[in-house]
Amino acid sequence: MKFGKRQLASLLGIAALPKGATAQSAAARNRILVVGVNADPAGLEPGANRAEPIGSEIILNVFDTLVAWTPPAFAQLEGRLARSWTVSGDGRVFTFALRPGVKFHDDTACDAAAVKFSLERTRDSNPFMRATFGLIDAIEVTGPLELRITLKEPMPVFLSLLAQPQAAIVSPAAVARHGAAFNVNPVGTGPFRFRSYRPDTDVVLDANPDYFRGAPRLARIIYRVIPDASTRRLELENGGLDLVQQNAQLAALPTQDVRALRGRAGIEVIEVPSQIIRQLEFNNSGLQGPLRDVRVRRAITHAIDYDGLLDGVLGGTADRVYGPLPSNSWAFDPAIRDLAPKYDVARARALLAEAGVQPGQLKLTLYSFQGSLWGAVATFIQANLAAVGIEATVAQTEFPALRALHVAGRFEVALDGRQPWYNDPDAHITIGYLSSLADSAMTFRMPADAALDALILRAQTTVDFEARKQLYFQVQRQIMDRVPAAWLFSNKLIVFKRANVKGLVVNSAPPLNEYHGVFKE
Amino acid sequence: MGGYALRRLAALLPVLFLVLVIIFHLTRFIPGDPAVTLLGPGATDVQIAALRAQLRLDEPMGMQFLSYLGGLLRGDLGVSLKTGAPVAQEILLRLPATIELSVLALLVAIVVGIPLGVVSAIRANTGFDHAVRLVSLLGVSMPAFLLALVLQLVFGIALGWLPISGRTSPFFLDDPVTGFAVIDGLINGDGEAAWDAFRHLLLPTTVLAAFLAATLGRFVRNTMLETMGEDYIRTARAKGLPERAVFFVHALRNSLLPAVTVVGLKFAEMLGGAILTETVFAWPGIGRFMFDAIRNRDYPVIQGATLVFALMFMLVSLAVDLIQALLDPRIRKRMAS
Amino acid sequence: MSDFWARNRLALMGAGLLAVILLAVLAGPFLTASPIAIDIANKLAPPSAAHWLGTDFFGRDVLARVLHGGRATLAIGIGVVALAFVIGVSFGTVAGFAGGAADMVMMRLVDAMLAFPGLVLAIALAAAFGPSLENAMLAVAITLAPQFARVARSQALAISVKPYMEAAMAIGVGTPRLLLRYVLRNGIGPLLVQASLALGGAILQTASLGFLGLGAQPPAAEWGADVAGNLAYLRDAPWVALAPGMAILLVVLSFNLIGDALADWFNPRRRAV
Repeated sequence: MKFGKRQLASLLGIAALPKGATAQSAAARNRILVVGVNADPAGLEPGANRAEPIGSEIILNVFDTLVAWTPPAFAQLEGRLARSWTVSGDGRVFTFALRPGVKFHDDTACDAAAVKFSLERTRDSNPFMRATFGLIDAIEVTGPLELRITLKEPMPVFLSLLAQPQAAIVSPAAVARHGAAFNVNPVGTGPFRFRSYRPDTDVVLDANPDYFRGAPRLARIIYRVIPDASTRRLELENGGLDLVQQNAQLAALPTQDVRALRGRAGIEVIEVPSQIIRQLEFNNSGLQGPLRDVRVRRAITHAIDYDGLLDGVLGGTADRVYGPLPSNSWAFDPAIRDLAPKYDVARARALLAEAGVQPGQLKLTLYSFQGSLWGAVATFIQANLAAVGIEATVAQTEFPALRALHVAGRFEVALDGRQPWYNDPDAHITIGYLSSLADSAMTFRMPADAALDALILRAQTTVDFEARKQLYFQVQRQIMDRVPAAWLFSNKLIVFKRANVKGLVVNSAPPLNEYHGVFKE
Repeated sequence: MGGYALRRLAALLPVLFLVLVIIFHLTRFIPGDPAVTLLGPGATDVQIAALRAQLRLDEPMGMQFLSYLGGLLRGDLGVSLKTGAPVAQEILLRLPATIELSVLALLVAIVVGIPLGVVSAIRANTGFDHAVRLVSLLGVSMPAFLLALVLQLVFGIALGWLPISGRTSPFFLDDPVTGFAVIDGLINGDGEAAWDAFRHLLLPTTVLAAFLAATLGRFVRNTMLETMGEDYIRTARAKGLPERAVFFVHALRNSLLPAVTVVGLKFAEMLGGAILTETVFAWPGIGRFMFDAIRNRDYPVIQGATLVFALMFMLVSLAVDLIQALLDPRIRKRMAS
Repeated sequence: MSDFWARNRLALMGAGLLAVILLAVLAGPFLTASPIAIDIANKLAPPSAAHWLGTDFFGRDVLARVLHGGRATLAIGIGVVALAFVIGVSFGTVAGFAGGAADMVMMRLVDAMLAFPGLVLAIALAAAFGPSLENAMLAVAITLAPQFARVARSQALAISVKPYMEAAMAIGVGTPRLLLRYVLRNGIGPLLVQASLALGGAILQTASLGFLGLGAQPPAAEWGADVAGNLAYLRDAPWVALAPGMAILLVVLSFNLIGDALADWFNPRRRAV
């Protein structure tokens, strides 16, 4: 990767700033939204985005996608750059008509050629999208504002993928101008223009007054990078931040902050159910010793005090997850609620005895990520397991190290999580439970299982909505029978904001906020 | 003296090489594949293998080390696995923030710690001495992150006097000239911005300086008392020199010698402490950068940042040796022989 | 030795404090509730008759955790410093006494180790060998050893040019005896000050590793990890973090008081003052 002086200058945010830019008047400050985030964006480049939440959110505010989920329910897609679209009966051909007169921030026109350029660019450069966009057979420009996308095989999730930051439409002229440095000079059509990025400090976006859906009410958004959770809370209380973003809390236990901030004047807490799943999972393709016995695994699922975990440890900041899908997924089978394991120490002990496991005989290392959230859950479950005679040693490990152990299959049980990056059951089921993917990252490492694999693939590619839903019902039951995990909870998305920040609608999956309609009173 | 300095400088090269060897192999010790981390969830084995090849992670360790050394000679520290930007630039970008913080903390610690230690020694076993000893004992016993949080709560929240995180207010879009926020504000003639930057410095500086000031105070007090028992002090007293002259001409000068060593040692520790302080105060410096790099298994950044820390430490250590030689005629004589 | 105590009231205080802490930590765990028994309904309860120091986030008795945790913490502090002391002091004394090329080579090695930010070395070692208390201790000991080496060398260097050293060498005192009886004995004051500080430092640095998740693993009680793990509740339930925090403060204080007095005792000239 080559970096010239100019690119460095823009990296430092120097080029974008006028000399002597300084403090703003109070009225001007009231049109600036300061958002606290826990880390830098990994990149502002749709062509390389890997669903990392902070970069993704910025991308969705700087760029537009062809389609987008309609707030507040986020259950239906609406046109964004696309004015309208049609899908062929076999689910393979998508025809789009684009909104006329839309311009990129660099004043070039957003037309069908730009859309084709952007989607092909992502397909070719983003390994994250290869599995899905690789199924695109052809993208044809049929008119200045019309294009047709043909798939090699039906893919019902395709439209929802087009709403993702990876599918954001970029300015071909700006890509040509910036080259590799487009990553820190993003140019799109969105409600905000990129202004500057200072690593470890902030990202600044300015309003795009010419936005085709109307100029945003905010003049500027400043994302401040503050890694420490208690510092973020202090800054929010102090007025240094207007909003603390949900993803900043996923590793830190939010219970006490939520409780303290709920009652505080001038601050509001928004809580929205998410599709994130946290589970205790087994090394399913490398089960050893007593864990090979499904009764032992089932005993573990009954040993966990789910209510104590949700109410006591998580203080109502999470919802129970009953099976492989969160209960707010459209494909969730309500019957799973009753099939799910219940806290039952006697039952757990009986199952263990039945399997010939004496109290104190089973010793496990319970791996978990770092952060107070994982520490608290691990501590609680360690005690739960001890109560049924299973001795677990907790090992909290850095993300890359645990991921390496996981991919190599060198663990027995681990606390882990899955965060779907698009709004479809496929995001949980296919990557998680398809046995042919067992050795890649973020899976449940399912053992070879032709019947289950076939069922999952059928569910993935069936076009008819009802039929697809029924297939996912079957998939969920089949997976539950195998007890590959004890599904624990789904974190709510929590946003802390100053009460004068209005108009924010929090998206449930993936967790991204759009700030077009947000304003400060 | 000049020859000694040159010899010491030359002696730094093998240390540097040793540091490079250790850090290179130690980073490879840290479990976790950077390719897996980079690709994130959903990556397949083929993708991971391809990326490993692209990053040259599949080459033998010796080859990787050689190509790293080769790049180093050209001033090329490699490219961050996370951002794709050159490590040298990423480090230069953050270096001023850390230098600003640690140098100020060092100055504060010296200005506060040494006089307290001296006065405490002069007034040994008085109320003042006991108070200083107690406060410095508390200073060395307080976990830094606890102190940071308490200061944030007291000065940031309860009193509302000082900002609790960051290097500048978000509303000041700075205009970097030197990279040192306070100096930049002054250069740009923007007093408000310079004042803003200075206020941001206060709390993290205090946290970073507290431990060093307390350590120095204790050390100087003890060595002063010790020096007072030396023969030449008795001789000086016997000669009828005024007590003030005994203290400042003889005792202080000879007590500062070991204190210089302690400052050098503790400065390195302070740089390490910057990792915690920078994280708690959201300070965009090199300590936090390195901590993030360790988390992300960003090998080139870990190596580069450690190298910078090592260099900073070595320079301080060199300075300590030279100052010692300057202060102590006996050692100076020995070095010359 | 009675002379020593009579002369050093502060040392007596320190020793008394340490004795009380040791007694509490050794006997206390037999008298209190389990430090890991979870009672989630009773979490973050303020101090009461049932829980003298309140309960933590899991409803565990804070007093029980402090008493149990003390065993781990004291073992860490003493173990780490002992290890670092032995390695560092022998290295530094020999280097400073030998001087010349040997000193140069040895101190370059120490420099290389010292040049590493301690926390980085500790993180790397703990990450490489897996997160556990033992590995955190080893890592902290390795990072502390060079400091002892530097101070020991500084002392040896200063002492080796003193007249009484020349005298001892002139009358033919053997090298090992010279090192132990003269160099180490006369130079031990600052080393003990350093050790007493390092005890606190070792405990604090292990706590930092705990803060970064690389120290004691839950649910084990350990003061450093308990402070770090409970900082989040400092504002809502201060007793949870303050109790182990104060315990650290007191034990470090007692070590420092004893260390100061020992520094006086070992230094014949200062005794005369």
